[in-house]
Amino acid sequence: MRGSITGGMMVSRKTISRRTVLRGIGTTLALPLLDSMVPALSAQRKTAAAPIRRFGVVYTPNGMVMRVWTPEKEGAGFEFTPTLKPLEPYRDKILVLTGLSSKPPANSPAGAAAGVHARASTRFLTHVIPKRAQGSEISAGISSDQIAAQELAKHTQLGSLELAIEGRDFAGSCDAGYSCAYTNTISWRTANAPLPMENDPRAVFERLFGDGGSVDASARMARIKADRSILDSVMERVSDLGRVLGPKDKAKLGEYLDSLRDIERRIQKAEEQNATNVNVTVDQPAGIPSVYEDHARLMFDMQVLAYQTDLTRVITFMIARELSGRSYPQIGVAESHHPISHHLNDPAKLASLARINVHHTSLFSYYLDRLKSTPDGDGSLLDSVMIVYGAGMADSNLHAPSGLPVLVVGGGGGTLSGGRHIKYPLDTPLANLNLALLDKLGVPVGSMGDSTGKLELLAL
Amino acid sequence: MKKETFAEMSRPLSRPLRLLAVVLMVAPPAWAAQNTPAGRTAQPTAAAHVPTPDGQLITQYCVTCHNERMKAGELALANRDLAKVGPEANVWEKVLRKLRAGQMPPVTAPRPDSQTVAAFTTALAASLDHAAEASPNPGRATVHRLNRTEYANAIRDLLALDIDSKALLPADDTDAHGFDNNSDVLTVSPALTARYLSAARKISRLAIGRSVSPTIETYRLPRELVQDERLSERLPFGSRGGTAIDHYFPADGDYIVKVRLQTNNYEYVKGIADTHELEVRLDRARIKTFTIGGKTDGHPPASWGGTLYGSPEWEKYALQAHDALEVRFPVKAGRRLLGVSFVKKAWEPEDVRQPRQGGWPLSSDEMFESNPGLSSVIVEGPLQTLGPSQTPSRQRIFTCRPNTAAARSCAQSIVGTLAKRAYRRPTTEGDLRTLMSFYDEGAKDGGFEAGVQRALERILVSPDFLYRIEAEAPAVAGATSHRLSDVELASRLSFFLWSSIPDDQLLDVAVKGQLKDPLVLDRHVRRMVADPKAKALIDNFAGQWLVLRNIKDVAPDPDLFPDFDDNLRDAFLRETELFFESQLREDRAVPELLSANYTFLNERLARHYGIPGVYGDRFRRVALPDGQRGGLLSHGSLLTVTSYPNRTSPVVRGKWLLETILGTPPPPPPPNVPALQDRGEGGKLATVRERLERHRQNAACSGCHSIMDPLGFALENFDAVGRWRTEDLGAPVDATGALPSGAKFQGVSGLKSLLMQQQEQFVANVAQQLLGYALGRQIEYYDMPTVRKLTRDAAADHYKWSSLIVGVVKSAPFQLRRSGS
Repeated sequence: MRGSITGGMMVSRKTISRRTVLRGIGTTLALPLLDSMVPALSAQRKTAAAPIRRFGVVYTPNGMVMRVWTPEKEGAGFEFTPTLKPLEPYRDKILVLTGLSSKPPANSPAGAAAGVHARASTRFLTHVIPKRAQGSEISAGISSDQIAAQELAKHTQLGSLELAIEGRDFAGSCDAGYSCAYTNTISWRTANAPLPMENDPRAVFERLFGDGGSVDASARMARIKADRSILDSVMERVSDLGRVLGPKDKAKLGEYLDSLRDIERRIQKAEEQNATNVNVTVDQPAGIPSVYEDHARLMFDMQVLAYQTDLTRVITFMIARELSGRSYPQIGVAESHHPISHHLNDPAKLASLARINVHHTSLFSYYLDRLKSTPDGDGSLLDSVMIVYGAGMADSNLHAPSGLPVLVVGGGGGTLSGGRHIKYPLDTPLANLNLALLDKLGVPVGSMGDSTGKLELLAL
Repeated sequence: MKKETFAEMSRPLSRPLRLLAVVLMVAPPAWAAQNTPAGRTAQPTAAAHVPTPDGQLITQYCVTCHNERMKAGELALANRDLAKVGPEANVWEKVLRKLRAGQMPPVTAPRPDSQTVAAFTTALAASLDHAAEASPNPGRATVHRLNRTEYANAIRDLLALDIDSKALLPADDTDAHGFDNNSDVLTVSPALTARYLSAARKISRLAIGRSVSPTIETYRLPRELVQDERLSERLPFGSRGGTAIDHYFPADGDYIVKVRLQTNNYEYVKGIADTHELEVRLDRARIKTFTIGGKTDGHPPASWGGTLYGSPEWEKYALQAHDALEVRFPVKAGRRLLGVSFVKKAWEPEDVRQPRQGGWPLSSDEMFESNPGLSSVIVEGPLQTLGPSQTPSRQRIFTCRPNTAAARSCAQSIVGTLAKRAYRRPTTEGDLRTLMSFYDEGAKDGGFEAGVQRALERILVSPDFLYRIEAEAPAVAGATSHRLSDVELASRLSFFLWSSIPDDQLLDVAVKGQLKDPLVLDRHVRRMVADPKAKALIDNFAGQWLVLRNIKDVAPDPDLFPDFDDNLRDAFLRETELFFESQLREDRAVPELLSANYTFLNERLARHYGIPGVYGDRFRRVALPDGQRGGLLSHGSLLTVTSYPNRTSPVVRGKWLLETILGTPPPPPPPNVPALQDRGEGGKLATVRERLERHRQNAACSGCHSIMDPLGFALENFDAVGRWRTEDLGAPVDATGALPSGAKFQGVSGLKSLLMQQQEQFVANVAQQLLGYALGRQIEYYDMPTVRKLTRDAAADHYKWSSLIVGVVKSAPFQLRRSGS
């Protein structure tokens, strides 16, 4: 089960994170739950008075071919361009936003030509300029998903979930002079604390559903029963021991007793929760699938489950890391993503890049399909979510920060009116979108980064 | 075994000693050369009259500030009776400590001469010791829960199973000294308890191994590990780079091993200009050889910015060169050595050796004509298992096999043995009743093995396993403390020396009540230190006392120190570990930690230190005659851990020396101390030493810094990654130090001489740290007489480690416990 490397080498099963910045993060990551504590998979009762609203981000790297992304028509009835085509079945839940920008302010520090990728991913949710640094000097700002998570964590077992397909490593430099932390994550708990993104579906499953190995109603009941009997027996023993110990020792052991009681309470609560006839059986994945599409779909499945069980209401997901060099031979693109994103306006390269873009949106449509077919209250999960889909730069070759490709997808728990293409004045700050969404989530903030106000028109 | 009478035991060459003599002939020379166990200490000088310390010193030098009115440091020393120090020992121990450290009176105040101070402190110590004899206080640690390391070791010894404790349990907190076995900081939260329950289920399942579902484990190598040479003695001669992994294969079956190579930032596999061979070996037998590289149709990219990329064939190969590195093969269950390494190709380097790449160049360069490197090894399996396999843990657990009639009694014997070892004491009827009820529960649905698994699960969450229970003694009139039982003592001993549960040999002796015998105890201490499991003492005691563990987190600036790679990081740690181990196992004198004239080096480390003639990755002992290197003060590990990423810090090093070596930590700095200026006076480039001049100029700072900084200055010849230097920023290094006491010293050899003059203080500090580690609690004022006794007894025995360790085991705080509360 465990391996160790000896003979003078330090190799670890997880990437070694040697940065002091990350040490603090490791201890605050939610450890996997005892699976009997996980609430039964139940359709959340949603009342009009207190609808549940969920936030999500699906990020794609290296920009897009904008001319096959941006629809011509404005308003309702816009056409689904080639890149957006896979999302057509969900027209009434989609808002295509054109004109938003993540342009660095005029007084940015010198050397702004470098680090465009670090800027693209870091600014997407933080809207600040990342500091050109590696190691413990890295610095950005808190991201909007974490602002939301701080508040919404009051209602869920996990504050937020950060997921990715590749690039968990924060060591070294990925964009010239910029730490890999900047391009491997879009979520920052604080200015100095980038959040590592989990890419192993087995670990995600375990963090959500504990160590049981599968989510299955009858197996869960058996495990609950088994856990209860162990808990009762251990609690009895701790009480017995208390009698032969001195008062201080007894109090110390009391910590254990209190913890056991706490767990018993939570198991009981999980049992009592109203389990409707949601018939879901999911087995724990063995690990990271070797095929990219399987991996992506599995990660999307985990996200659906996380929302469905209300284990969290904030999820960010990078479908590939910023600066990703993945090649997609399975769709006929044998070249590496980042180099080909420097298309130099060559038609063949543009075509290949566009194929990658549409591949990502089709994987995203799989996610939307799963959300739509998962009941939630009177509707589906798709009604309650507000998911930002997009990239941190527009034209890849120019690393253009202006006119980003951005969608907001979902019903937002009644706060979004989809089915429209909205054109904002060019260079409206992207930060305004996050401000508006935070407001809809019930976590209003005055400003973020270079915001100038809440983005209008998202609801009619 | 016949219990020996007292008469037999005191006869020379009695049976235990005869056995010891036999052992002596085969055991290593150290740790067995004593005929009289060092623990049989000299009787304390029960002087009929202990001289009262001369109160004149207090009146003349202390009361000016430490009086009722001013109460400097909340301490008033006027009107205290020096003839009766016992009742106020907490005050007087503090006074003693400050005086001995030279921290009081402050350097800015009038100070008595050193002879007066010495006379006073000697008398005061003797008085305090005398008072302690009259009413000893062995102190009392709150009940200990096992920390994560101890938990993992216990599982290893109980079930012959290696677990990834970091994945199963959260990290423990550490106390002020950095020790994670202090019972006060070992709290339990609901999150931890949930982990215990979950871990118990996983471990019991894995140990019994009835049904094992396939998993995928990934081992990642650090990006900054240089893979140009043979990296391990567990990899073949003629290999290059790669890794040797101890992987636990949970069941017989097929496993798939997949290998990923190092890529640059754009996913291009590095080093594929030439063909290279990659071997996968299991327990040193070759399973498969792969060939990669050398196929280069077309042309590579002209620019790594991604704007001028290469021909399609080249691109495809560069991105996919490691996709096919996968092999499936059958493996028998157990812990096995998985070696993945390249075959070294002989080639001559042309031109001057280039600096190692770090940071951005390392990320972006595909190093086309360099060596490919290993990035990760992925092990998937077991696939197609055929039922439970013979694993070491199954062999350890199933000491009998049931036939249907005797299944339950076999189970009871298995469960009873497991419980005895896990709980570290004989089992009671109640224990067995509880455990067998869980057996019945499990066996009902799943049969014999399922029942044992369930009982094991219950054992692993029992407080008897997770906590080290020391029972309260029944109240005895007039007794303030009680002796631990032999069984309790056995646990203390094994957790001290092994960070784990007692072995059967120790437990049996304890159960028989023989551990009280000092000769038996002595023999077991020596046996246990000689055992490989005593490595835990080095890892956990030395690692935490010296703050060695921080070496894993240091990040020297890659621009200033481009040569700092992970090979060096590992070598640093290994050097100090091997050094400490040699000192301990050869039973050297404790001060030799500082003054030793040898160390352990491999080629990488020797190159870093500038020591010629050391080749290969293997660590070997190297004599260091010139005094520049040798001893902890010249270890790259400690020198790097006490530096900043971009420069040395004499203050941090000085503080480390005061705190960790001499045991006289300086008080905390005042709030709002500004950061050190980057430049010196007038904005010109200045050495760190020049910039720290401000400490001397400011009266508020100089009090502490005049003692701290000079010690750090003496190490200025070692840069922030432990290399020797004679220049810093173009100016020659000034490694002189001068203390307020008048002592002057030059460089590390001068510092070593100075510390050797204070070697008793060093040993006293080591004794104190070791005692704190052994007891698992803070050392309090009432422990100081014990610390002084340990130091005295060690002095009588050339300050040997054996004397200290045996002394700790035989000390009152280790064997007794204060009653009540």
